[in-house]
Amino acid sequence: MPTPPKYVVLGLGNTLHSDDGVGPQAVERLRSDARVPEDVALIEGGTLGLELLTYIWDCSYLLVLDAVDVGQPPGTLVRMSSQELQTLPGRGSVHQLGVADLLVALRVLARQPPTVVLLGVQPATTKWGTELSPAVGAVMGSLIEASVAELMRVAAITSA
Amino acid sequence: MARIVVDPVTRIEGHLRIEAELNGGAISDAWSSGTMFRGIELILRGRDPREAWIWAQRICGVCTTVHALTSVRAVEDALGIEVPENANLIRNIIGASQYVQDHVIHFYHLHALDWVDVTLALKADPAKTEQLAESISPWPKSSRTYFKGIQDRVKALVESKQLSLFSSGYWGHPAYHLPPEANLLAVAHYIEALEFQRDYIRIHAVLGGKNPHLQTYLVGGMSTAMDPNEPQATINPERITFLAELASKAQTFVDQVYIPDVLAVASFYRDWFGRGEGLGNFLSYGDFPQGSVKDSARFYLPRGAIFNRDLSKVQPVDPANVAEYVTHSWYQYSDGDQNPKHPYQGETNPKYTGPKPPFENLQTDQKYSWLKAPRYQDHPMEVGPLSRMLVAYASGHQEVKDLVNGALAKLNAQPSALFSTLGRIAARAIEAQLMARQVSKWVAELGDKLGHGDLRVHNGEKWDPDSWPKEAQGFGFHEAPRGALAHWVHIEDKKIKNYQAVVPTTWNAGPRDAKGQRGAYEASLLKTPIADPERPLEILRTVHSFDPCLACAVHVVDAQGRCHSVLKAS
Repeated sequence: MPTPPKYVVLGLGNTLHSDDGVGPQAVERLRSDARVPEDVALIEGGTLGLELLTYIWDCSYLLVLDAVDVGQPPGTLVRMSSQELQTLPGRGSVHQLGVADLLVALRVLARQPPTVVLLGVQPATTKWGTELSPAVGAVMGSLIEASVAELMRVAAITSA
Repeated sequence: MARIVVDPVTRIEGHLRIEAELNGGAISDAWSSGTMFRGIELILRGRDPREAWIWAQRICGVCTTVHALTSVRAVEDALGIEVPENANLIRNIIGASQYVQDHVIHFYHLHALDWVDVTLALKADPAKTEQLAESISPWPKSSRTYFKGIQDRVKALVESKQLSLFSSGYWGHPAYHLPPEANLLAVAHYIEALEFQRDYIRIHAVLGGKNPHLQTYLVGGMSTAMDPNEPQATINPERITFLAELASKAQTFVDQVYIPDVLAVASFYRDWFGRGEGLGNFLSYGDFPQGSVKDSARFYLPRGAIFNRDLSKVQPVDPANVAEYVTHSWYQYSDGDQNPKHPYQGETNPKYTGPKPPFENLQTDQKYSWLKAPRYQDHPMEVGPLSRMLVAYASGHQEVKDLVNGALAKLNAQPSALFSTLGRIAARAIEAQLMARQVSKWVAELGDKLGHGDLRVHNGEKWDPDSWPKEAQGFGFHEAPRGALAHWVHIEDKKIKNYQAVVPTTWNAGPRDAKGQRGAYEASLLKTPIADPERPLEILRTVHSFDPCLACAVHVVDAQGRCHSVLKAS
């Protein structure tokens, strides 16, 4: 087994539920983006919970791509830092874990949690369907650019 | 009569609501209402059947691999494809390791907090905890220093209020009976189980690819290349060694941690051998073929049905006898809602007629759930580890009999004690022990095949759609960790015409049928005493003992009113 990489991009959401699939779809796009450094692990996490622990176990930096309900118009692209994520409520359910809960699990295990950045898109709909809504589809390009910018920034800090 | 409502039932996947009528301090009637995926057929219609599994594995957020397997089996059944023995072995290893993984997570992370009071663990004496640990198991992590460290860590988490993982327990409830030391031991193992599962699941990373959703299924077999001389092959001698190590560690963990913990917890809650039984009807499709998937007589876990808790008779199972009612479900059948439909004739026309939220109670005399009500020969059935272990036990499966009798002897209990909430928990643990051993055996067998140059993992004879009949129907099944799972596919002109899935939790959590027969959860709650209607811990104990999964959740992060920066406004 290769040692797990230090940088992880984790796309979360159900690809069968239209805009909820924005994170996994973005990860698939990043796979074919030459600007993404080779040592970045691109993980499509779906709606898995604790099973994702193994993928973020050793990472020092975690970029999460997900649908986020911030009460803004559909397609709004937002960024949340580690600290802002800590204020998110847990889900009260070990499955259906939020990112916040996974990080708590790392703490319970006395692991050093990674730096986390979340890039999220306000969904228009999460009804059954495999296509994104027009509003969210339109922002996919910006989400990819923002993701690449985050990865470049963290790579620059590390190599400096 | 008071009606109590538990909504949502926490520490499960998905959304479940239980309403129960209380009479003289005990439950006199109960209704189970859930949201459940019912849209896969819309997604799959018109698609290439060879790709169905890729979509089907997204049906459920946590049970991905089980739907993938069931889907490829349905298509293989429709097209008459036999998979090579190696593919079968690899599928068995993936499936059996999923049992171990899921059962451990279920006991420690979804269910233990119904029996373990985390806050009491803080009051435990680490030295006495050491004594307790060493009296029940040779597991090496048992020193007082170790338990003191765990206690300090949990204390720090409690003080930082970041206890979301342990949230929503009914701390201080009078129905918690474990002494503080047993609570501390369980909390320590809760944490160890987190680490165990994250290590063990690497079996799937080897056999399924680097992503959490397995990528190596294929209609006709698997895409996991086997080559004794190729370091890049998915399965080579080095990988076999790695798999064998993981499998062996899992056996130790289950034997020395999971099983002793279940026996210890059960000994403090013996009342629960007499509660939570439910239907007394148990169904298993059987699984883990040793040869052809059509040869059910050679499945490692046998196929069969038990009615009215009669362990002297195991009835044969024919999937043609499965049918679903929507009499009490929010769907409409084109020819009326009184008669059930076999999944090949399945229809999914949602029609919500329930009250408009927010509401106090469901109209339980009418339609009240998004789950359909599956029946076998018109009987409601329980599915899951207890059903499988009972069917195996009653079929004379020697290894299952030895493990079950061993556990019962330690608990000083009769086989009839298995028809209960604790019986469900014990059966699940025993199954984990059984299947952890099987993973080791099947990995060794796969290693042998590799050594003998038997490298075939895929049967490509019918890969080309031109070789298919104009029309075909197939039944795919899998005994998933949570129970009997089946997909029915109808293929026409090389495309999917209809697709239906009946998942384990639909059997267990489904509502009443046209005859008013209760589903498994509903029946299991009858007569359960409730100490405090405001905090119905007893309902959670029994419902959680089934390992509910109403899956297919969406994953929108709820961040309304939280700090964030807008990068791009819409």
